[in-house]
Amino acid sequence: MTPEEQRFLLVGAGLFVLGAIGFITRRNLILMVLSAELMLHGVSLTLVTFGRMHQTNEGQAFTIFTLTVAACEAGLALSLVLSLYRKSHSLDIQLWSELRESDLSGPVLDSFGERGDATSSYENIPKLTPAGIAPKDPPRASTSASATTSTRT
Amino acid sequence: MSEDIQQLILWLIPAAPLLAAISTALLGPKLLRHKSHLPCWSALALSFVCSLILLLKILPTVELAAAPVEGEVAIAHSATGPQVIASGYEWFSVGSLHANIELRADSITAIMLSMVTGVSLLVAMFGSGYMSHDPGYPRFFAAVSLFVFSMCMLVLSGSFILLFVFWEAVGLCSYLLIGFWFHKPSAAAAAKKAFVINRIGDFGLIMGIFLIWKHFGSLDFMTVLGNAARIAEVDAKNPGVIQLICFCLFLGAMGKSAQFPLQVWLPDAMEGPTPVSALIHAATMVTAGVYLVARCTPLFVMAPNAQMAVSGIGAATAAIAALIALTQTDLKRVLAYSTVSQLGFMFMALGCGAASAELVTPAVTAGMFHLFTHAFFKALLFLAAGSVMHAMGDVIDMRRFSGLKHALPITHWTFLVGAAALAGVPLLAGFWSKDDILAVLQEASRSEAHGLYFGVIRVIAIGAAFLTAFYTFRAYFMTFWGPEKFPEEAGHHPHEVTPIMAWPLRTLAFCAAGIGLIVGPTHLFGDYLQKTMGLTPEHEHHLHWGVMLMSSIIAVAGIGFAWMFYVASPTIPAAIARTMKPFYVLSQGKFFLDEIFTGLIVLPLLGIAKLATLFDKYVIDCLVDSVGRAPKALSTIPRQLHGGVVSSYAGVMWVGVVTAVVLVLTMF
Amino acid sequence: MMTWIQHHPMTIVGLVLWATGILWLMPGKKASKPRAHMIGVLIVALGLVTFCLSSGKAQSEFADDVMFWVFAIGALMSGVLMITARNPVYAALWFALATLSTCGLFLLQHAPFLAAATIIVYAGAVIVTFLFVIMLAQQSGAAGYDQRSSQSLFATISAFVLLGAISLTLQSEKIDIARPSLDVVDSSGASSAATENMGAAIIADLPSTDITPVMPGNVMSKADADHPVGNLKGLGKSLFGDYLFAVELAGTLLLVASIGAIAIAPRREQGAI
Repeated sequence: MTPEEQRFLLVGAGLFVLGAIGFITRRNLILMVLSAELMLHGVSLTLVTFGRMHQTNEGQAFTIFTLTVAACEAGLALSLVLSLYRKSHSLDIQLWSELRESDLSGPVLDSFGERGDATSSYENIPKLTPAGIAPKDPPRASTSASATTSTRT
Repeated sequence: MSEDIQQLILWLIPAAPLLAAISTALLGPKLLRHKSHLPCWSALALSFVCSLILLLKILPTVELAAAPVEGEVAIAHSATGPQVIASGYEWFSVGSLHANIELRADSITAIMLSMVTGVSLLVAMFGSGYMSHDPGYPRFFAAVSLFVFSMCMLVLSGSFILLFVFWEAVGLCSYLLIGFWFHKPSAAAAAKKAFVINRIGDFGLIMGIFLIWKHFGSLDFMTVLGNAARIAEVDAKNPGVIQLICFCLFLGAMGKSAQFPLQVWLPDAMEGPTPVSALIHAATMVTAGVYLVARCTPLFVMAPNAQMAVSGIGAATAAIAALIALTQTDLKRVLAYSTVSQLGFMFMALGCGAASAELVTPAVTAGMFHLFTHAFFKALLFLAAGSVMHAMGDVIDMRRFSGLKHALPITHWTFLVGAAALAGVPLLAGFWSKDDILAVLQEASRSEAHGLYFGVIRVIAIGAAFLTAFYTFRAYFMTFWGPEKFPEEAGHHPHEVTPIMAWPLRTLAFCAAGIGLIVGPTHLFGDYLQKTMGLTPEHEHHLHWGVMLMSSIIAVAGIGFAWMFYVASPTIPAAIARTMKPFYVLSQGKFFLDEIFTGLIVLPLLGIAKLATLFDKYVIDCLVDSVGRAPKALSTIPRQLHGGVVSSYAGVMWVGVVTAVVLVLTMF
Repeated sequence: MMTWIQHHPMTIVGLVLWATGILWLMPGKKASKPRAHMIGVLIVALGLVTFCLSSGKAQSEFADDVMFWVFAIGALMSGVLMITARNPVYAALWFALATLSTCGLFLLQHAPFLAAATIIVYAGAVIVTFLFVIMLAQQSGAAGYDQRSSQSLFATISAFVLLGAISLTLQSEKIDIARPSLDVVDSSGASSAATENMGAAIIADLPSTDITPVMPGNVMSKADADHPVGNLKGLGKSLFGDYLFAVELAGTLLLVASIGAIAIAPRREQGAI
């Protein structure tokens, strides 16, 4: 293995690991799907490198299949996400925990992650997301009613 | 008659009722409904005809056949007597035990078969009228057909193992039919009681069969019973074992034939429909024990002590049952106790062989003859009681009705015939058979060996015969004489039986009146039966005029006392009951046998069961529960992981992946 | 392990910096001021550069080297920013950048067709769909759950343990997979130097003659002088030769998935998305 191939493999591993971190830590359904795609990128890169190491086109052929499957997965995942969104009006994965042990309490939702209410977000955030960094956390959600009215108007 | 036809006829006898049972059970509830009796009737009629052919045509000709013929139908006339064997197939074969499905008919079988199928046919006809309004009509006929099949197989079986199977099968049918009205708690309890008490007897029977298997190495009747030399050899090798076998077999017979102290189930069995009481619990099934002892005569002759026990138990049963019957007010219970008492008579006779070897054959003949005649007049009495019940709106307490002789003329005169036959009025069926028994007992009491013993038994028998006449006619007078009185359940005018119920009554009345005279004094019965293996044909016939005179006097005296007590001056019974209060209570309470059993056996067992329950509940359950609680306790911590959030599951999986990959990589 | 840490301090420092940066950037309770965000990005970049520099020198041309650095650091940096973005729209855009960088790496790996296909599929279709969905679902702006991350410390540490283990393995001197030269594709090549080398390197226990550099089965996929790796003709031969049935299956899978997506996706009703 040449150092060149080695560093490609390292990049692939890095992408894979980053995707895994994203999948575990993020709570947004769409971001989780995106993280899974990032993991697939890492795998694809590794496959291509292996193919080159072995002087065969199989690595690339496999990558094409990976691509196909990724495309299918993305389509299905998005339609599922949409279905879930229709039900809870939120993209929070922690809202979907019906399969937990029945006597355990539900997920500990953050103060501003009220169940099923997509509008209970920041008071001062305009509808269109601003460029740059998101503003600070809002005060705790005692003002959700006013937030609702403000976002609707 | 060719062998094929013989075999076919032999197979048809049990097969027809079996087919009827299956078809009624399958088609009855949906298709046949109120025609459910048709398969049963036709099958029983076919069986009856085949039995008669077997009785009258096949077996007498078999006797003429010379040497044993190898083949499917082996006909032999040797020490085993004339017999027809129809081999079926090998049921199972374990080691040297070969259980064959094989029918074997000889004289005793043919007699039993004719009696069983004939009475069954009449009872089935009566039953179709009696049960006509019952929702369980098809079930009734299916069970009756199944019973007839089992009973036929029981008497046709050629080995102990098959006999045991159908011994249990008739017990099952009895259970089903006692509990026919299973929604009635008393009927369900009676069925259970009959089944449980029969288990005690069955335990004895199967122990006896095991012993036979151990010492004879075979369970076939021909091998075990047909060779007297072999029995003597076994006896010489293992002294006392034949005795033990006989006691065990007799325990089985005691259970099935309701002998003291196992007789408590039979009176309770009257909870079943009356035709069932007539068929199973009077005429046929309960006589299976008598049949078993008669069948095993070759064994019993080697065990005089067992025979004496048979006689003694029979005498005790006859006396106790007769005494109990004196005070019962339930018509069917009186008849039930009289059945127990008459079965005691049969056993008394069967045991007389202990007195001397020459007495064995007359003793068995007398017992079987009483079985035969008893079947007719007892079935008749039960059916007549059933028709009384039918007319009285299912009331059976004799104190609530009286003077039915004008309202129910057919029932009245048929019941009268039956009662007279049971009481032993001269020339009727019961007279001849009871006379035989008393004659045999008289002979036995003259023997040197056990003369005193049989003398006591003879006295008991005479007393029991007197009591029989008395209580039978007590029931008769209480039911049919006196002022006309109907219970309100009967409506204003009780209706006489329908023709379909009347004709079986008339037929049975004719048999009860005449069959004893036809086959008894002419020795047709005795000569026929004595061709069975183990019995020796005897040729000197003499009528016991003295015994006859005595038994006639006893019967007439019993009837006379009954007339005096219950017709002429009805205050006497009450006065006697007052003066002899303890005895009256004892009789009324059925000698408190049920209570004694409860105190001696049931309550201690219940105590043990309670202890076992406590042990189970607090020791075993604790152990089991702690085994069950351990995983639950262990799981409280890992359970927290199961929070339902996908991310945490993915995290756990990720840890697994990392661990696995790192482990694999560090191997290099 | 310890020797590896002593031999590769750069890698360790890079990994630790990288992980720290990710933790810093993760959306969490602390306020994310623009300056703090910039510091986090810098830490990640520093860690990445350190990590990549430590991965050894290639004997490639300088231009290739530069290209690799640009694409590798771009892909990894975009990945970090994607998984830490508070706004899903930004996350999708960072993902697009990561995809583009990966495609650049594909190009460097002689996979031009793959690079083109990935761009078409991802940038052209997937990202756009994602953006549509995000726009539909988050019309009301940033949501609370995007401002929080769960198990970030645990996930990051375990992930970097894995990455460290992979780095250890790849940089270990024992691993030296021999690459078959173009003229030693004959699998039965008795005892060529390459085969021997490889057998000794990977699984010393096995007899060396059992190891063949190329699986003998898929003959169409082998690269040769006429069709070097990544040659479109060679790739076509591999796909429609060795993997014909798989290609058909993949087509079927796509069909089924599109039908499924249509079936699962909620119907459009009044007032609903």
